[in-house]
Amino acid sequence: MRGDSFSMSIENLPDSPMGSRKKKMQIRKVFDKMTEWVTPWRSNLESPREMMILRGDVEQDEFQYASSHCLSSYYSVFVVRLAIMVMLAILIGLLTVLTWHFTRIYTKQSLQTLAYGLRYELLQRPVLRMWSVLNTTSELTTAQVKLSEYVIKKYDKPTTQEELVEMYQAMKDVTWALFASAKALNAITINYRNGFVQAFHRDPASSSTFYIFSDLKNYSISGTGPEDVSGWNNKSIHGNMSAIWYQQQLDPVTGENLGKPLKIPPDDLINIAGISQVPDGEASWHVTVSKYMDSPLLSAALPVFDASNKSIVAVVGVTTALYSVGQLMRDLVEVHGGHIYLTSQEGYLLATSTDGPLLKNTSNGPQLMKATDSEEWVIKSGAQWLEKTYGSKRPHVVHAENVKLGDQRYYIDSFYLNLKRLPIVGVVIIPRKFIMGKVDERAFKTLIILISASVCIFFIGCVCILILTNGVSKEMKLRAELIRQLDARRRAEASSNYKSQFLANMSHELRTPMAAVIGLLDILISDDCLSNEQYATVTQIRKCSTALLRLLNNILDLSKVESGKLVLEEAEFDLGRELEGLVDMFSVQCINHNVETVLDLSDDMPALVRGDSARLVQIFANLISNSIKFTTTGHIILRGWCENINSLHDEMSVSVDRRKPWAPMKTKQVQHRNHLQKSCKNANKMVLWFEVDDTGCGIDPSKWDSVFESFEQADPSTTRTHGGTGLGLCIVRNLVNKMGGEIKVVQKNGLGTLMRLYLILSTPDTVDQNIQPDFSKYGLVVMLSMYGSTARMITSKWLRKHGIATVEASDWNELTQIIRDLLETGSRDNSFDSQHNISDPLRAELSNIVEIKNPVFVIVVDIGVLDLTTNIWKEQLNYLDRFSNKAKFAWLLKHDTSNTVKTELRRKGHVMMVNKPLYKAKMIQILEAVIKNRKRGLCNDLRNRGNGSDESHDCLEIDPTQFDTCSSDDSSETSGEKQVDKSVKPSTLHSPVLKNYLIDATTSNDDSTSASMTQKNPEEEDWKDRLYSGIALDGKNQKSLEGIRILLAEDTPVLQRVATIMLEKMGATVTAVWDGQQAVDSLNYKSINAQAPTEEHKSFEEETANKVTTRETSLRNSSPYDLILMDCQMPKMDGYEATKAIRRAEIGTELHIPIVALTAHAMSSDEAKCLEVGMDAYLTKPIDRKLMVSTILSLTKPSAFQTSLSA
Amino acid sequence: MDTLIAQLQRRFCDFTISLYHQGFLDDQFTELKKLQDECSPDFVAEVVTLFFEDCEKLISNMARALDQTGNVDFKLVGSSVHQLKGSSSSVGAKRVKGLCVTLKECCDSQNYEGCVRCLQQVDIEYKTLKAKLQDLFNLEQQIVQAGGRIPQVDI
Repeated sequence: MRGDSFSMSIENLPDSPMGSRKKKMQIRKVFDKMTEWVTPWRSNLESPREMMILRGDVEQDEFQYASSHCLSSYYSVFVVRLAIMVMLAILIGLLTVLTWHFTRIYTKQSLQTLAYGLRYELLQRPVLRMWSVLNTTSELTTAQVKLSEYVIKKYDKPTTQEELVEMYQAMKDVTWALFASAKALNAITINYRNGFVQAFHRDPASSSTFYIFSDLKNYSISGTGPEDVSGWNNKSIHGNMSAIWYQQQLDPVTGENLGKPLKIPPDDLINIAGISQVPDGEASWHVTVSKYMDSPLLSAALPVFDASNKSIVAVVGVTTALYSVGQLMRDLVEVHGGHIYLTSQEGYLLATSTDGPLLKNTSNGPQLMKATDSEEWVIKSGAQWLEKTYGSKRPHVVHAENVKLGDQRYYIDSFYLNLKRLPIVGVVIIPRKFIMGKVDERAFKTLIILISASVCIFFIGCVCILILTNGVSKEMKLRAELIRQLDARRRAEASSNYKSQFLANMSHELRTPMAAVIGLLDILISDDCLSNEQYATVTQIRKCSTALLRLLNNILDLSKVESGKLVLEEAEFDLGRELEGLVDMFSVQCINHNVETVLDLSDDMPALVRGDSARLVQIFANLISNSIKFTTTGHIILRGWCENINSLHDEMSVSVDRRKPWAPMKTKQVQHRNHLQKSCKNANKMVLWFEVDDTGCGIDPSKWDSVFESFEQADPSTTRTHGGTGLGLCIVRNLVNKMGGEIKVVQKNGLGTLMRLYLILSTPDTVDQNIQPDFSKYGLVVMLSMYGSTARMITSKWLRKHGIATVEASDWNELTQIIRDLLETGSRDNSFDSQHNISDPLRAELSNIVEIKNPVFVIVVDIGVLDLTTNIWKEQLNYLDRFSNKAKFAWLLKHDTSNTVKTELRRKGHVMMVNKPLYKAKMIQILEAVIKNRKRGLCNDLRNRGNGSDESHDCLEIDPTQFDTCSSDDSSETSGEKQVDKSVKPSTLHSPVLKNYLIDATTSNDDSTSASMTQKNPEEEDWKDRLYSGIALDGKNQKSLEGIRILLAEDTPVLQRVATIMLEKMGATVTAVWDGQQAVDSLNYKSINAQAPTEEHKSFEEETANKVTTRETSLRNSSPYDLILMDCQMPKMDGYEATKAIRRAEIGTELHIPIVALTAHAMSSDEAKCLEVGMDAYLTKPIDRKLMVSTILSLTKPSAFQTSLSA
Repeated sequence: MDTLIAQLQRRFCDFTISLYHQGFLDDQFTELKKLQDECSPDFVAEVVTLFFEDCEKLISNMARALDQTGNVDFKLVGSSVHQLKGSSSSVGAKRVKGLCVTLKECCDSQNYEGCVRCLQQVDIEYKTLKAKLQDLFNLEQQIVQAGGRIPQVDI
C-alpha cells in the first residue's frame, strides 16, 4: 500500500505541474467545444435573411440542434466541474501521502541508523569490558604461570622440607605481589603437583583478603612424577578430606597476616583450579560460581611446567568476577533504557543489566541460570523469542526490530562473540518506545494533521471550484438563455417575415373580396325595394365591411411599409382642403364625444403641395382618431405651420431655444436638410410642421417612444376600453419617416398629449399660391358666439390678425348683451357704458368697433348657443331676427341639428349655414359671401328674406365640399370610414376641387342654380362610382364601354377568353393578341410614323398651325385602338417590353395610347414597375369587372369625365 | 317528368355547392357563369375546356422541364406556373390556384423536390377538377335535355 502510493508519488511528483497543465488543456478543450457549438450558430445569424426565410424547415432543425448542444454543454460544465474536483482530490491526497511519507521515512531511517549505532555501541561496550576482563585475567594468569615457573625452576627438585617451604614461601610472595597488584581479581590459586594448594582470595562481601593453604604435612617433597598427572583431580582438592585447610586473613594492602590461620571446612573453599582443567596443557576458561559471590566468576587455568618443560608441576587458576561487566551494563542501561545481557554459548546468563540474581540456589549450591529462566521478564521473554525464532542455529548477528514482547515493541540485537574458548552471546533488548516512541507519536500526529488539513483544503477547493465555475455555469446558463431568446427572436422574425410576405402576397386576395362585398352592398343599398329594417341591416353590414376593410388596409399598409414596398405618390394636392375635410369628418365624431375639433393652419401654409395626399390624410386621420379615442372632454387641435427650407437655418438658433424638447430632432433635421439642400437645391422643398394636441389622458413619458411600435399601446387596458390594434401610430411613424419627416411626442403643459411631426414636401413651381383676401377694407365686424373656447379663440385671433374687428361671446347672455350694445347704438348711444358685466378688454373692443364707420356686422352663431332642449330657441331666434337687417347671421350647425331648426332658420332667411367646426376656409367663405352680398345692396337682401321659405334651399344647407359625398347620406361614422377608405385607395384620379363651401343665398335665388344643382346630382353619383370603383355599377353601366376599341394582349387562352367576353358584354370591341410583339405590330405605329413625316412634307407650304392640327387629327384617326390591356408576363415579348416599344414608337408623335397592365402580382412595387415603363394603370388578376370598367373609363374618356365633374 | 327535372336540378345544386365547399371552385367561376348568356351559351364550357387544354400543355411543359435532372430550368417552370396560376384564377379553380402558388414558391426557392411534389399534386388536382366539371356539365346537359332550366346556385 505504501509502496504503491510511493511509486505513484514518484511518478506524479515531477509530473504535477504537467498534470495541472493537462487539466487546463482539458478545460480549454471543453470550452472550445462549447464555443464551437455556439459559433456556427452565430455565423448563421449573420447569414442573409432571405436564406432564412427560404430555409425555414432546415433552420428549425438547426434550432433544435443548437438547443440540444446547449443542453449537452450544460452537462459538460457539470462534468468538468466534477473532473476538476476529482483532480483536486487526487492531488491533495497525493500531497498528503507524500508529505506524511517523507517526514516519516526520513526521520525513521535516520533514527533507525542512529538506533542501530546506539544498540551496537551499547552491546559493544559490555562486550569489550568482558574482553578486557578476559584479557586481564589471561595476562595475570600467564604472568603467574611465568613467575611460578621461574620460582619452581629456582627451587628445582627440592629435596628438603625446608627447601620446599622456602619455595612455597617464595611462591606465596610472588603470588601476593601479583594478587595485590590486580585488584579486580577474585582469587589466585596454585595447585601443586603434590596436592599442596596456595590461594589468595578476596571476599567482596566482607571486603577482606584471605590466604588459603592446605596442610603441608601430608605432602611428600618429591611428589609424584609427571606420570602421575592423571592422578590429579579435583577430588584431591575437595575430596581430600584428609587435607586440612587453613585460611588466614591478610591485610589487603600490605599482605601482613592479620590473624592466625584458621581451619576452614572444605565446603567453604573457593574454586581451586586443578590439573583436570588443563588436560591438554593449554589455558582453559570456565565460568564458575562461588558461594561468596552472587555473580558468576570467570576462571582461567594454566599449567606450570617444570624446567624441562615436560611435566606439569602446578596449575595456576585465576578467578575474576564478572560483576564489573554487569555494573557497566547497568550504567549503560540507566542512560538508554532497555536491557542488556550476556550469555554463554549454552545460554547461561553471565551478566545482565538488571539487579536480578544470575544464579539459582540449588541443593548443590548456587548454579548458573539460563537466560530463559531469568527472573527479569523482559530478558526472559526476549530470550524465549530468540530461541523460538532462531532455535539452535542462531546466526552470529541478529537485528530484530519491532519484536512484540507482551504489549510493547522492542528492538532485539544479539551478537556472537567468539572469544578464546569462551564464546559469548550478547543481547540488547531496547523498547522501541525509547527510540521511536517520539517519532511514532509525531508521525501519527502528523498524519492526523495532514489528513484533516487536506480534507479542509479539499473542501475549500471544491467550494472555490464551485464559485469559480459558477461564473462559467452562469455564463452557460445565460448563453443558453440567450440562445433560447435569439431562437425565439429568430422565430418571431421569421414569422413576422412570413407575415409580411403572406400579407403582401395576400393583399389582393384580401382586398378584392372586401371591395366586392362593399360594392354589392352598395348595389343593395341603392335598391329601392328594401324594407327599412333591411336597409338598416345592410347599412350596418356596410359599416362593418368598411371597418374591416380599413383594418385590412391598415395591416396591409404596415406590411407594405415594413417590407419596403410602399411607393409614395407624387401628385399635387390641396393640403388645406384635405385637412379641412379631415377635421370636418372627425368633428362629427368629436361632437358626439363633446370634444372640440379645431384646425389651426397658419396663413403661410402652401395651398398646393406635391406628395401622397392619401397617405398624408392617413397620417392625420390616424393621429386624430387616436386622440379622439382618449379624449373625453376638451379639444383636439391640429396645428400646422411651415418653414421654408432655405430660411430654416436662420430660424434654427431661435427655435432651438424655444423648443427644448424638440432640439435633438432639429439637429437631425439640419443634417437631413443639408443633405436635401445638396441633392435638390432648386426643388421647392418645404418643411411642414404639424401638431396634434389633445386634452386626453396623455401618455406616460416612458412610453413616448414605444407607442410608435407596432401592436404597442400606451396602456394595455385601452384595448378593452377603446379597442384598436395598436397599429395606427406605427403606420403613422412609418409614413412620416417615408415622407422624410419625424414624429415625436412632446412635453406639453397641462393634460393630454402633444404629437409633433414635420414632413418635407415639395411645392409646385406655381408661385403665389396663397393670395389672402384682404378683408380689412370692408370694415367688417365679426361677432363670434361659440361656446367652444379654443376654436373661438383661434378664429378670433386669426380674424384680428387680418384687421377684422372681432367680438367674442361664449353664451347666449353675452351674445345678447353685445348685440344690444353694438346694434342698438342708434337708440341708446352710450348704453354700453352703463353695462357693468362687460369685462374691460371687451369694452375696449366694443368702443373700438363703435368707431368704425359704416360697419358690416357678421354674427357667427353656434347653434349650440341656442337653448335647443326646450322651445326657447324659437324666441331666441325671433330676438335675433330683429337685428337681421343690421347684421348678417351665419349659423354654425351641428351635423345632428334637427330639421325643424334648419327649416326655421331658413324660414327666417338665415341662409348662411355651415357645419361645425369653423375654420379658416369656412370663415373666409362666410366673409366673402357677406361682402358680395353687401355689394348687391339691401334690396336683394330683403328679397332674399322673402323667398327664405322656399324648399329649394334644402340642398344648400350643407356645404357641398368634396367630402359631402361621404357625409351626405351616411351617418357620421360611415363618413369617417369612407374618408379613410378613400384615402387608402390608390386613386389615380384626382378629386376635382369644388371650391364653394357655402352656396350663397343670392346665387341660389337664380333659376340656373337649381338647374345646376339637379344637374349636379347625377354627376356626383357618377363621381362616387368612379371614386369607389369597386362599388355600384348598376344596370345602366352594363354597356358602359360602348364603342371603345380595346386591344387585349394576353397569352393565357382562358384569361383571354374571359376578358374578351367580359369586355364585349360591356359593349367594347375587343381584339385579342397572344403576345407583346403582336400587340406592338397590331398598333402599327411604324406606318403611322412613316406616314406622318410625309404628310408633314406635303403640307410644308401650308400654314404651320393648320399642319399641326391635320397631323393630330390624322394620328388620332389612325390609331386603331382606344386602349390596350397588357398582360405583364407573356412569351416572346412581355408586357413591359411591349409597352416600352409602344412608347418608343410614340416618341415624336402626339399620340399616347392608354395601356393598362394586367398582372397576377398585387404589390405596389409591381405597380411602380408598370407605371415606370409607361403604362397608365394597373389591374390585377383575376380581373375585377367593375374595377376594370372604371379604370378603362377613366383612361379613355378623361375629358368627358373631367368636364362632367368640374362644372 | 317534372319530378325528374326537380331531382336533377337539386342534384345539380348540391353538386355545385359541394364543389364550392370543397374548395374546387371559387367566386370567379360564378363570375364566369354570369358572363354566359344567350349570345354565348357554351361560354363556361368553352373557357373550361380552354383551361384544361392550357393546363395539360403547361403541366407537360413543366414535367419536361423538371425531368431534366441536373439542370432544371426553374425559370421556365416559373413562367409556366405563373401562367397556370393566372388561368386557374381566372377560371376559379381554387385548388389548382393554391397549388400553383405553392409550386411557384418552390420554384423560386429552387426546391426541386417540392416542385416535383407540387406538380404531381397539380396534375392530380386538375384531373379531379376536370372530372368534376365534366360531371357538372353532364348534369347540366341532362337538365337541358329534360327540358328544365339550369337553376341559379347561390353560394
